[in-house]
Amino acid sequence: MDYIIATEQLTKKYKNFTSVNHVSIHVRRGSIYGFLGPNGAGKSTTMKMLLGLTAPTKGRFTIDGKQFPGDRLKILREIGSFIEAPSFYANLTGRENLDVIRRILGLRKNTIEDALELVGLSEFGDRLAKKYSLGMKQRLGLAGALLGRPPILILDEPTNGLDPSGIHEIRNLVKSLPDLYDCTVLISSHMLSEIELMADDIGILNHGRLLFEGSLDDLRHSARQAGMSADNLEDVFLSIVEQDNAARKQRAKL
Amino acid sequence: MRALVIELRKEKRTGVIPVLLAVGILGAAYAFVSFLIRKDTLLGLPLAPMDVLLTQLYGMIMILNLFGIVVAACMVFHLEFKGSAVKKMYMLPMSVPGMYLCKFLILTVTLFAAIALENLALMKIGQSCLPQGTFEMGTLLCFTAYSFFTSMPVLSFMVLISSRFENMWVPLGVGVAGFLSGMALASSAAAVLMVHPFIVMFKPAVAMSAQPDMLAVMFAQIETLLFLGLGLWMAKNLRYE
Ligand SMILES: Nc1ncnc2c1ncn2[C@@H]1O[C@H](COP(=O)(O)OP(=O)(O)OP(=O)(O)O)[C@@H](O)[C@H]1O
Ligand SMILES: [Mg+2]
Repeated sequence: MDYIIATEQLTKKYKNFTSVNHVSIHVRRGSIYGFLGPNGAGKSTTMKMLLGLTAPTKGRFTIDGKQFPGDRLKILREIGSFIEAPSFYANLTGRENLDVIRRILGLRKNTIEDALELVGLSEFGDRLAKKYSLGMKQRLGLAGALLGRPPILILDEPTNGLDPSGIHEIRNLVKSLPDLYDCTVLISSHMLSEIELMADDIGILNHGRLLFEGSLDDLRHSARQAGMSADNLEDVFLSIVEQDNAARKQRAKL
Repeated sequence: MRALVIELRKEKRTGVIPVLLAVGILGAAYAFVSFLIRKDTLLGLPLAPMDVLLTQLYGMIMILNLFGIVVAACMVFHLEFKGSAVKKMYMLPMSVPGMYLCKFLILTVTLFAAIALENLALMKIGQSCLPQGTFEMGTLLCFTAYSFFTSMPVLSFMVLISSRFENMWVPLGVGVAGFLSGMALASSAAAVLMVHPFIVMFKPAVAMSAQPDMLAVMFAQIETLLFLGLGLWMAKNLRYE
């Protein structure tokens, strides 16, 4: 199988707290991979490790056959990323913010308009970023990730803070990306109902452990086998997490 | 070079560059006004005219420069932390120590411009107000270099501090504390105190002669490089998590 991102027993410990626990995920080239989990599951931490923002305590991963720290610059050149909250220069306008990123990546000027267009921010490109509304900042962050149409996108809860139509819009955008140009998307969310509409494969994380990995059909299949109704995948997701939490409590008592 | 251009673009609408240039203009204006008003008292001091020109006005000029450096250094990293832009920088294919070095260079050049402006004013005053034949261009140039080199440790130190604290009040507080402690201890003759970067900066201002103190210059060079090296190392190895 051709995995563009593959992690192997990836683990992150903060002091005595294990945030990510032996996680092995496999993202197929050209697919959309939904990364699911409740608050504090370790989704952002995993993504930060993939971007070299924090070093893994244990385990390894490769991105397009490359590894940190040796290939740091090469890897980052291929990834457009958006982690947690949008990052921007408050003293610059939306366009100027993208221009800084564009210059760092050494891209052509027209990529800025392309990215603004994609996220629907063209109209507000000349407003100072600090004067943006929450949703506009979010869109600016996404535009920064999409700039130059990188082959890999790592998006951490990109629809946070958007209005319903904005969520819809961004969801459609993400969904259309692999058709628009050749790219792979790793996207995280709390809601399976949202991911269900975009993703080809999903990984479910809880308390740092990967509970499930596979396609949506695999998930339906295993739900049926466990005697659950497979009609509502959100319920399946919640019950998987609940079962795991119950098992953890049980273990903690022993 | 490209990194430097990017860095300059980021500083748009912040006061990083204007503040030190303004300090230079203010310092030059102070020199003119002060010399005009106090001309007779100053020239009446039992010092050589060149020493009067360079050391008697430098106290105030140095304090202006010092606060200019502190404020500019605070701002140059504040713009990265506000809106957490620096987090994006870590996710881009660029060198973070390179970014640190660019900020350091921009401040160094603007500080040099400020000091050049101030000394240009001193030159004008020297040529027109000092007793005939007592103005020495060489001494002035030498003192310009001396005041620049002894100011660099504070700049290097402040950039380091400001790069490590997201809250701008911390480096600002450190700057004020450095200024106060430097002022209190500046006139002490103990050479070991020169490990304190602010004291090095005060040295030319508390001296009575315009002759550079080579020991201070030496301390200044070592400290400047030390803080710069430390800052680059931290930028490379310590992350904001
Ligand atoms: N720098 C840190 N120091 C200590 N603990 C941390 C640090 N960063 C994250 N954690 C802990 O790691 C766990 C996982 O955090 P993470 O941000 O990855 O969760 P998440 O799945 O992204 O959650 P959310 O859906 O709320 O964004 C949390 O319990 C968090 O408190
Ligand atoms: Mg998160």
